[in-house]
Amino acid sequence: MSQAQEPPRRKLLRIDDLLQRNVYDVDQRPHIILHAEKCEECEYKPCLRACPAECYVEVGGRVIFSYEGCLECGTCRVVCPHDAVEWDYPVSGRGVYYRFS
Amino acid sequence: MSLEMMVGIKWVPNTQNVRFDPKTGTLIREGVPSIVNPADLDAVELALKVKDTYGGRVRVITMAPPSAVKGIEHVIGMGVDAGVLVTDRVFAGADTLATSYVLSQAIKKLGLPDLLFFGQETIDSSTAHIPAQVASWLDLPYVYYVDRVEEVNREEGYAVVRRKLEDRYEWVRVELPAVIAAALKSQVPRPVRLSEKLRFHRDKPLQTLTNKDLGLDPRCVGLRGSPTIVAKVTWMPEVPRKRQVFKGDAREAARWLVKKLAEEGILVREDGRWRVRVA
Amino acid sequence: MGQSAEFDAIVVGAGPAGATAAYHLAKRGFNVLLVERGRGAGSKQVFGGRIYAEPLREVFDDLDKAPIHRWVRRERFTILDGDRELTLDFRAGASTSFTAYLTQFTQWIAQKAVDAGAVLADEVRVDGLWLDGGRVRGIVAGPDRVAARVVIVAEGVNRLLLERAGFVHRASPRELALGVKEVIKLDKKTIEERFGLEEGEGLAWVLLGEVTDFIPGGAFVYTNRDTLSVGLVVHLGGAYQLLRDQVHVLAERLRTHPRLSRFFEGGDIMEYSAHMTIEDSVGYMPEHFAYDGMVIVGDAAGLLLNTGLTIRGVDYAAYSGYLAAKGVERALSEGDASAEALRRHYEVPLRESFIYRDLMRHRGASYAMKNPRMFREYPRVALDTLEEIYTLGRETPLPHEALARALSRNRVGFAEFALRMLKVVMSL
Ligand SMILES: Cc1cc2nc3c(=O)[nH]c(=O)nc-3n(C[C@H](O)[C@H](O)[C@H](O)COP(=O)(O)OP(=O)(O)OC[C@H]3O[C@@H](n4cnc5c(N)ncnc54)[C@H](O)[C@@H]3O)c2cc1C
Ligand SMILES: Cc1cc2nc3c(=O)[nH]c(=O)nc-3n(C[C@H](O)[C@H](O)[C@H](O)COP(=O)(O)OP(=O)(O)OC[C@H]3O[C@@H](n4cnc5c(N)ncnc54)[C@H](O)[C@@H]3O)c2cc1C
Ligand code: SF4
Repeated sequence: MSQAQEPPRRKLLRIDDLLQRNVYDVDQRPHIILHAEKCEECEYKPCLRACPAECYVEVGGRVIFSYEGCLECGTCRVVCPHDAVEWDYPVSGRGVYYRFS
Repeated sequence: MSLEMMVGIKWVPNTQNVRFDPKTGTLIREGVPSIVNPADLDAVELALKVKDTYGGRVRVITMAPPSAVKGIEHVIGMGVDAGVLVTDRVFAGADTLATSYVLSQAIKKLGLPDLLFFGQETIDSSTAHIPAQVASWLDLPYVYYVDRVEEVNREEGYAVVRRKLEDRYEWVRVELPAVIAAALKSQVPRPVRLSEKLRFHRDKPLQTLTNKDLGLDPRCVGLRGSPTIVAKVTWMPEVPRKRQVFKGDAREAARWLVKKLAEEGILVREDGRWRVRVA
Repeated sequence: MGQSAEFDAIVVGAGPAGATAAYHLAKRGFNVLLVERGRGAGSKQVFGGRIYAEPLREVFDDLDKAPIHRWVRRERFTILDGDRELTLDFRAGASTSFTAYLTQFTQWIAQKAVDAGAVLADEVRVDGLWLDGGRVRGIVAGPDRVAARVVIVAEGVNRLLLERAGFVHRASPRELALGVKEVIKLDKKTIEERFGLEEGEGLAWVLLGEVTDFIPGGAFVYTNRDTLSVGLVVHLGGAYQLLRDQVHVLAERLRTHPRLSRFFEGGDIMEYSAHMTIEDSVGYMPEHFAYDGMVIVGDAAGLLLNTGLTIRGVDYAAYSGYLAAKGVERALSEGDASAEALRRHYEVPLRESFIYRDLMRHRGASYAMKNPRMFREYPRVALDTLEEIYTLGRETPLPHEALARALSRNRVGFAEFALRMLKVVMSL
């Protein structure tokens, strides 16, 4: 069976490289607080894959959260099965600033 | 009369996370909005804290194109009483000398405040010239790296401020009027409030000064008043990151990190303690 | 603390819904406050890429001056699975929609509101509705309370305020989807060449299958003037069991997909954004669209239609804002901002409008679309059937044989398949 040669798959960009494309004015105070003790009992930890900014990472079995790259989509609040995410928007117009979306 | 304070703010492109075009070596600025220079919010916050304690009035001043009104609105939203926009075509293209000259003359025209605050430096030029130059034009004492105003005594004409140095604090008693530069990131700027925004829209506490008002010699302002020559701009070569991931508990990770940093020569051991190597 | 300003109306959220409501009320001489958490209007907005124009012509008499990128003439639909691909390519006789940045489009509406006399307080996050014995009296923002005769809630899909005040239930992942998008810069000519477009002409492209890792949802490409909007939507219901990779990895796989990457080649990624969208519109609707002292518009009211092939939210949002402005005008001129009055003047017209009627008509289809098999097995049935038909050895199967083999290979019963397809078709 003859087949056309598929072009090689290009490299995927890492999340930092994607977030770097955006303009942010990050507040010193976090707008989202994770009560990580609640994550210990969590089976699926949907935040790890569903957060589009990879703000949730698992290190040594614990979920660590950083708010700086947050895209303010609200997904983590909705998918968290244990109500561990104390979620709000940033104040004073801070956070992400979309220009072309 | 009550305490008069003024804060110099600069309207700068938000270059905090702007990328370089690797092909042309220039900044990618398309659509990049401007913001109040972050360090200037430290200065605004410091001034507002003094106002919280002693009352009085805080005004901001900026030499900028008219679009900077949006920045004045932001700090008025934080609680600043009023803003002064110094703007004129002849002021364009100014270096720090010409900028500080115009600012100091505008401030003189408005009446010297008791305390004149600035940020430490800007994100788009970071010379840290302006506060010192303004102090010099106005012949006022200048204290920088200030993270706290301990006391203001208007009757006796002095203030006591705390300077945040690398390894210690220093308390300085300074005569009023004085120029103070806030230490970078020393404050957490207070949030913008709806009631203050409504005051901005209702009262429009804005004043504009042009060179008609100031009557400065065009040879001393703008591009013509700027002796600085930018000889060359180059970009620092990007140092590739070494990205290493260590998995383990925090204590082990810290040991591992120290070891790595020592191998890289970033940390050195001196008198039984780790120190960051000074180049 | 610190309040007194009394407004005829306070609009929470300067998205297309809120900005439109503020514009029409201000234009009619009302004293309107438009509160937006972002820096300027539009800075927090994310959508896919295309806006339907027809309803907006009634709302804005100068729509042609809006920041329109391209008028969409080309529609493309693709199912991808490995190196197999099925594409439907349609060129419409006339265009009824345009591509845009929602950031720019929203700014355009908000500017009209300001020009008409509305006060835009940006950089202000509203923290709550000011409730007074079940009646909405105004808003709470930090330490401040501001009163209004009517509050128009246009906070979008992420309904913190309505949830906090107990007007709607807590959002469930089943009702929502997450969209992510990359905006890729390419010059105008290159875009037109690569997509076979005439000058100024736009393309809307929906892709299913491998590109979303067969998770319910779809991928999209829209052509803007000199950029492409490339992204995907994944349903959040059950996402945690289905999502094998992080969402941004899916977005990057789409961009670098061997069959697609040539379209994006050489383009610089200008922005990476994310936003939720409504999956189950009818389930997401509040019980009422108006309460004492409050009306709800746009996404916050559940007004979004995603058929799988097309998505409409912006025109619905703006149109509902327009209906709300007209309704509030009537209610205020009668001096009555009660639930009854606001329902009579806003909710009833909304329920009689094309928006509500279409949402109800599409209800069944949207249930069918939520079936995960719709995104894994059924696209494969289509591809396998075509493969049976076109990739011939000695035998040439009859069409029904091809379909039967494709069905059995994907373990889909004929009755189930027929029923599903019928359901989708019937509901349309
Ligand atoms: C040849 C040349 C041409 C230039 N042309 C321009 C130009 O066209 N437009 C332009 O904007 N810049 C121009 N600059 C930059 C300008 O010289 C100064 O950078 C700027 O006004 C202040 O210097 P800085 O940003 O390093 O501030 P710093 O001295 O680092 O700032 C310290 C503090 O001073 C205060 N401050 C700084 N600038 C202002 C201001 N404008 N108003 C009120 N307070 C202020 C703030 O509180 C700030 O935190 C030019 C520079 C050169 C060398
Ligand atoms: C990935 C994706 C693709 C889409 N594609 C399309 C498409 O191609 N075509 C289409 O027509 N629609 C599309 N939509 C839907 C469309 O984006 C929405 O329906 C539309 O934006 C809804 O408008 P809105 O004004 O109701 O809400 P939003 O646009 O969400 O605006 C809400 C505003 O309120 C502000 N706000 C929220 N809470 C507060 C608060 N507490 N205080 C102050 N301000 C607040 C927000 O900052 C925001 O500006 C898509 C959506 C997504 C997520
Ligand atoms: S709001 Fe969205 S981007 Fe921000 S942390 Fe939650 S999931 Fe991630």
